[in-house]
Amino acid sequence: MGIHGLSRLLHDHAPHALKEGKMENYFGRKIAIDASMSIYQFLIQVRLAGGEGQLTNEAGDVTSHISGMMYRTIRMMEAGIKPVFVFDGKAPTMKGGELAKRKERMKQAESELTRLQQEGGSAEEIEKQQKRTVRATREQSEEVKTLLKLMGVPVVDAPCEAEASCAALAKANLVFATGTEDADALTFGTPILVRHLSMAEARKMPIVEVNLAAVLEGLKLTHAQFIDLCILCGCDYVDSIKGIGPITALKLIQEHGSIEAILKKIDLTKHPLPEPFPFEDARKLFTDPDVVDPSSLDIKWTDCDVEGLRKYLIEDKQFAEDRVNKAIERLQKCKGKNTQNRLETFFGPVTVKRAERKPDPKAVKGKGKGKMPAGGSAAKKMKK
Amino acid sequence: MFEARLTAGSMLKKITDAMKDLVTEANFDCSSTGISLQAMDSSHVSLVALLLRADGFDHFRCDRNLQLGINLGSMAKVLKCCNNDDIVTLKADDNADAMTFMFENQTQDRISDFELKLMDIDSEHLGIPDTDYKAMISMPAGEFQRICRDLQILGDTVTIAVGKDGVKFSVSGEMGSGNMTIRQNTSVDTKEEEQVTIEMEEPVTLNFALRYLNFFTKATPLSGTVCLQLSKDVPLVVEYAMPDLGHVRYYLAPKIEDEA
Repeated sequence: MGIHGLSRLLHDHAPHALKEGKMENYFGRKIAIDASMSIYQFLIQVRLAGGEGQLTNEAGDVTSHISGMMYRTIRMMEAGIKPVFVFDGKAPTMKGGELAKRKERMKQAESELTRLQQEGGSAEEIEKQQKRTVRATREQSEEVKTLLKLMGVPVVDAPCEAEASCAALAKANLVFATGTEDADALTFGTPILVRHLSMAEARKMPIVEVNLAAVLEGLKLTHAQFIDLCILCGCDYVDSIKGIGPITALKLIQEHGSIEAILKKIDLTKHPLPEPFPFEDARKLFTDPDVVDPSSLDIKWTDCDVEGLRKYLIEDKQFAEDRVNKAIERLQKCKGKNTQNRLETFFGPVTVKRAERKPDPKAVKGKGKGKMPAGGSAAKKMKK
Repeated sequence: MFEARLTAGSMLKKITDAMKDLVTEANFDCSSTGISLQAMDSSHVSLVALLLRADGFDHFRCDRNLQLGINLGSMAKVLKCCNNDDIVTLKADDNADAMTFMFENQTQDRISDFELKLMDIDSEHLGIPDTDYKAMISMPAGEFQRICRDLQILGDTVTIAVGKDGVKFSVSGEMGSGNMTIRQNTSVDTKEEEQVTIEMEEPVTLNFALRYLNFFTKATPLSGTVCLQLSKDVPLVVEYAMPDLGHVRYYLAPKIEDEA
């Protein structure tokens, strides 16, 4: 899932590209959210207390994803965010290898789970394995789509990978950012990636915003080189080269500029290429992905369908009536909140001028100057 | 080298208090003409612009343009140590990593100095276009503060309607609704500070979040009068002028019914 080790790399080499903030800071912003990833997260996170597994209705169908999607979406809307949910289409054929691996892992987990259940493993162990067997099905996607449509939230079907279409929407300026945990979205070229949007409020995780332009500046790469870097780090489509991790990959790309040039330089006996290594096809998937045509979309936020929601949630999915009523009430209240405009609407975009940082701290250390060492992702630091 | 001396030290205190609740940290841009600052609140709904002209200071020197990144909360804390009639001197070297605040009392027998660490702050700048506002209201600053405070009890959004017969501030909430109307008052019997002038080219009605207006009115001690400027579908301007020194100006994006 995503690009291996990219987060670490960004922390170390482009700390100012990461910005932590509160969800409320994004009010009035339209954000394209990778729904498939969210569903998967909810299936894992939203569980009954005591490790008794996922929420289910009377018929035994899992409803974790519906509950999760409803409450998190309401929370986002209460913060004033306008979410657009983008659903995965078919997986690209190149992802076959990765998908097969995931299937393999799931099978392992399943057999492990049956073994634990028969032999009576600890509850923790069982829960861990249970989480590994979780898989988002097509029906669950459809259920969530029904829910979102009833809530008046726009839904987009991506022809292929959802992140790619999210990035396309962001590039076309239809939305402000892409909301996903998957760093792939940056490779696909979303100007801004927002992480931790669908995290539980109780976990107090700050929202992390990643700015692609600042990433490229920090890593000293062009976007094409960044794509090559992601491929070398190991993405969903191509395995990484043995012995070349993210840090080495960055160094090589900065030095040689492209995968072709690197392949000519490195010792292939020491770093055998994975078989197959179709990096050119992977590159094409990133530069020219199969996405929705942003101009064909009509993204609109409408009032929620109260009767429809009640019928769907209470009758079909056996949600508690008072909880559904409360949720609908919260949802209706959000409507009035969405009227506050941002100053950018009137004065045009903000020009961010990065603080002039003093040269290398070591160089000025002798004079008793210099900043404190980089600590985490904060874009600014107290001077010493 | 930057050095600025202000006899009315309490002004600096009031200026800091006028901004610190809206923005936590900001860059003070110092040049030979004076000090300016522009900063937005974290949700980019409002903006504060400060201008302090060099000739407003008793002594002002700035050899090179400097950007001083300051945490306003910390600055307010430092200024707490300054008595109201103290003389304040601000000092910073070129490429400095701290700013010095020096407070002297009137008789110059007590001098204290504080150093405040500077920060590297990414500045977010908005280009504010020149706008020909359709309505301009000048009224006592205290009156405006009271209106914003009182109306917040009823609701969180105020409708400001400028019409022929005055300015109407109205709010409605779950509890009920309320209106306050201010009329032009320029009679000679009224003290200049208490006069209300309304200049209007065409009627304007706009909605604003009271939360932000109540941040703005923290600047009330700076000036006797406040000036509001409005035009259809553009941000409101709230200006507190400090005679001979400069101004604190706030911009607030209106609430507009969604088309989507």
